[in-house]
Amino acid sequence: MVKLSINGRPEEIDVDPAMPILWVVRERFGMNGTKFGCGIAQCGACTVHLDGEPIRSCSTPISAAEGKAITTIEGIAAEDGTLSKVQQAWISEQVPQCGYCQSGQIMSATALLERSPQPSDEQIDAAMKGNVCRCGMYGRIRKAIKVAAGTEAPTRQESAT
Amino acid sequence: MSDSKFSKPPRSKAAKWTRRGFIGVGALAGGALIVGVAIRTGNPVGKLKPIVAGGEGEALINAWVKIGADNLVTAIVPHCEMGQGAQSTIAQMLADEMDVNWENIRVMDAPADGNYVSQHTVRTFIGPGTVPNRPNQASFMEPTYDGLFTQLGKLGDAYITGGSSSVRSTGQYGMRIAGAAARQMLVAAAAAEWGVPASEITTESTMLSHAKSGKSEAYAKFAAAAAEQDLPRAPRIKTVAEYKLMGMPAPRKDIPGKVDGTAIFGIDGGPEGQELKYAAVKAAPVVGARVESMDATVAKTMPGVLQILNMGDFVAVVADSYWQAQQALGAIETAYTKSEIDGLDSEQMFAGFTKALDEAGAKGGNTKADYGDAAGALSSAALKVEAEYKVPFLAHATMEPMNCTAWVRGGKCDIWTGSQVPLMARSGAAEGAGVSADDVTMHSVLLGGGFGRRLTAEYTNQAARIAKATGYPVRMIWSREEDTTQDFYRPADISRFSGGLDKDGKLLSWNNVHCTEDEPAEAALVEFYDIPNVSVRNAEVEMPLRLGSWRSVAHSQHGFFVESFIDELAHAAGKDPYEFRRTLLANSPRHLAVLDGAAKMAGWGSDLPEGHGRGIALARSFNSIVAEVAEVDMTGGKPRVTRMYCCVDAGFAMNPDGLTAQMESGIIYGLTAAMYDEITIKDGRVQQSNFHDYQMMRMGDAPRITVQIINGAPDNLGGAGEPGLPPAAPAVANAIFAATGQRIRELPIAKHFA
Amino acid sequence: MKPISLILLAGVAPLGLAACSSESEEPVEQIIVRQPGEAAPVLSGVANSPGTADIVAAGKAAFAACAACHSVQQDGASGSGPNLYGVAGRAAGRLNGFAYSEAMVSSGITWDSAALNAYLAAPSEVVPGTSMSAGAVTDPERRKAIIAYLASLSQ
Repeated sequence: MVKLSINGRPEEIDVDPAMPILWVVRERFGMNGTKFGCGIAQCGACTVHLDGEPIRSCSTPISAAEGKAITTIEGIAAEDGTLSKVQQAWISEQVPQCGYCQSGQIMSATALLERSPQPSDEQIDAAMKGNVCRCGMYGRIRKAIKVAAGTEAPTRQESAT
Repeated sequence: MSDSKFSKPPRSKAAKWTRRGFIGVGALAGGALIVGVAIRTGNPVGKLKPIVAGGEGEALINAWVKIGADNLVTAIVPHCEMGQGAQSTIAQMLADEMDVNWENIRVMDAPADGNYVSQHTVRTFIGPGTVPNRPNQASFMEPTYDGLFTQLGKLGDAYITGGSSSVRSTGQYGMRIAGAAARQMLVAAAAAEWGVPASEITTESTMLSHAKSGKSEAYAKFAAAAAEQDLPRAPRIKTVAEYKLMGMPAPRKDIPGKVDGTAIFGIDGGPEGQELKYAAVKAAPVVGARVESMDATVAKTMPGVLQILNMGDFVAVVADSYWQAQQALGAIETAYTKSEIDGLDSEQMFAGFTKALDEAGAKGGNTKADYGDAAGALSSAALKVEAEYKVPFLAHATMEPMNCTAWVRGGKCDIWTGSQVPLMARSGAAEGAGVSADDVTMHSVLLGGGFGRRLTAEYTNQAARIAKATGYPVRMIWSREEDTTQDFYRPADISRFSGGLDKDGKLLSWNNVHCTEDEPAEAALVEFYDIPNVSVRNAEVEMPLRLGSWRSVAHSQHGFFVESFIDELAHAAGKDPYEFRRTLLANSPRHLAVLDGAAKMAGWGSDLPEGHGRGIALARSFNSIVAEVAEVDMTGGKPRVTRMYCCVDAGFAMNPDGLTAQMESGIIYGLTAAMYDEITIKDGRVQQSNFHDYQMMRMGDAPRITVQIINGAPDNLGGAGEPGLPPAAPAVANAIFAATGQRIRELPIAKHFA
Repeated sequence: MKPISLILLAGVAPLGLAACSSESEEPVEQIIVRQPGEAAPVLSGVANSPGTADIVAAGKAAFAACAACHSVQQDGASGSGPNLYGVAGRAAGRLNGFAYSEAMVSSGITWDSAALNAYLAAPSEVVPGTSMSAGAVTDPERRKAIIAYLASLSQ
């Protein structure tokens, strides 16, 4: 039995303690926003927060989450559904293309802004280097982080419907 | 113009497809397009209705547009969404022609049904030249041919997203006409109901209005009546001056679901309320080899394992969890049969390329272009320049590894997957499940990247075979290692050039022989450059690997070859590489404008810090023209690309932000390959396996990119998804030369600075 | 007559290829361990009462999770983690040609069973700053098996 919380909800699960968090979240809890990309912590598509720290869930066993809080992409909007500042900036800057890496990108960016509310370019490089975007939207990700930080103005105000 | 097969190609790329040509002879085609499917195949609108218009109070106006009782308008798009934004842009074109406001537009994947084949896409892919006995230009538009193309499309399973074709074919010749026709039918319906002339009715924001009587109603009110109207034979589409949404950066419809985790990709799809099991697979690592034996002694004792399958060409483990399936797969000992290419390695293959090029010599091989007298002009040239370039095999490395969920039962098969060719995906599954294609339901979901990788159907075939063996629904996911080693690779290539300049540095002779098949056909050609004597040939070589279409296809290597050699010629002539290109573009004003645009953005000619360099490159692909300037910083001993300036003319940017995003994306994709990547073969096996040895460009290495758009030919649209890529590698290689004097003739660049 | 087809053929070649690769053959061998929902069969000893051979086999199976990064081929190239052939008894951070973290190079560890056991249980606690951000093995039996397997390779 592993006791932990997922997106604020306490859970107790009977699962192989070596099973990576990624597959527990996807298969046991049916939350598919967290993605499988490489399986060896190289691409960041599986990034979730463990007690607020970004981790690669494909390579972190569920046992490492014992007594801790897991937050996934499904858990960062407000309870009433209002998107987080980072999510809103991702829309205003039209960041995603295929979108497959974006849950991980958003989780890494969210953790970065928790630590450094107004990150420098070097801090963005360091915090985001573990997240690959094969569609190459790095410029937009950088801009969106700054928009979320309030250091740059959004490109557009309206949101897509 | 000469009738010779190999004469210089025409400069205008779209004579057949000007709107004038379309409307002039396009009345039939316009009608045929919307209802064309209806006329040709026996009222398929009725047949399609239950599939696409299931809701209460919905009426199907035609095969492409749906208006709901809530006044929401759905564009049914026969192209997948893999990040390129084409679904949104096509919907934008529909909305504009139909006078629907963007908020009221919804987008839906067309079902994987033969009736949804876009004959325009088929035309784009198969090309008019392949229709036998094409009598003349005018009859090309005859509905008979449209019917033929629809049939061809079905035969070839050509519901395709590729060739950067969605917006410029389906959008331009399908959705716009559909939107205009739908609007016209709504107006006719309202005119009849209100008893007023149609000419007095105006449309705006999904509303019909009659100013004189003060009447105003939502489209939805007349949707059913509109469906009863005659189909307009020549719906009038808007002129550029009338565009409202076209040309605007409308926000993409697919983005909100991609920021909150709700977007459904292939890896997330599956039957609702049905427990899923998971499969991990490993195929024989050498092409042509098969599984000789498997030892599952350990694997079958491992937790969660349900079944272990030797499928002949691959091994699969089905388990309660994907992770358990992967663990057990790793514990299986597998022996493979011998393959003819067990001893194959990359160096051997390249040696074969060199031999073929030697044998082709100065005149041999297959002629791709031959005008003037290239050999003669070379022998009399004041200055001769020779160079040879080389590029490796490349993998697509989509972020989402190949996957497919399948459920086979009772003679039926359901699959959930992302595909660039849904009809072919369906056929692959049908074969695997042993049922007819009509008994397969393909649930199309988002693609976590395509880039040409998802133009094949082997993964749906695999999933269906596994699901047939188990009888219950199974989600098959490839590991990254499987994805890297079982790709359909961009071919490797070697390209040889010799060029001849006169004493003033004017380029007189261009001779090129290379190895790969040219796809698209103009990939290696230089018709936009004013060179009087040109010979382009290719030599046939052996590449017994799985090969496929990789973003921009053969343009991906020829952009590097051609633009590196032009740069070398410029330096040999003692000229500035930008000015040298300008002198060759006297007859290509759009290319010149794009080149000038990029140079101006980059401040070409201005000073750069010590150890920095600038390089320029120009390419045209998929009917779009792109020039890029790269800035590199060599002060760290290794190249770091700091800036990319990109100027693009895609005819008309239907969504400028979308076009900009595609340029940014193509540049990073091109730079990633140029800087880091190669797939190598040893003992018949691919040696790379995951992102540690097949590297991706990351945040800190990505240059700042600036994009400028020129709308140089509003009636002659070009593609967006691929054309940003070909100039990226040569711009960087040329910049490295400018900074250091070191000429990069082989990719990836990192090899030279290890 | 236009000499060159203006319209592009991207995608046609792979269409042909993929069509050929479709198969409908039945499985050559199908091992049905159990049906979904059935309880797992009681394991015959591999994990429960390991003898020497069994523990190495169990370790080999468990090592599948590590194999994505670590090769164990004699003289094999390192992946994103160092080659572990002969790691037992080796000094940490000393394999030629692998770019270790500073932390690993200066750790002073020699990989005996106890050191491997501690490190596998909590890599970043034993070597703070290690690049092995993933791969902790929390189950002591599994650790024991992996260590036995690694030791068996170079014997």
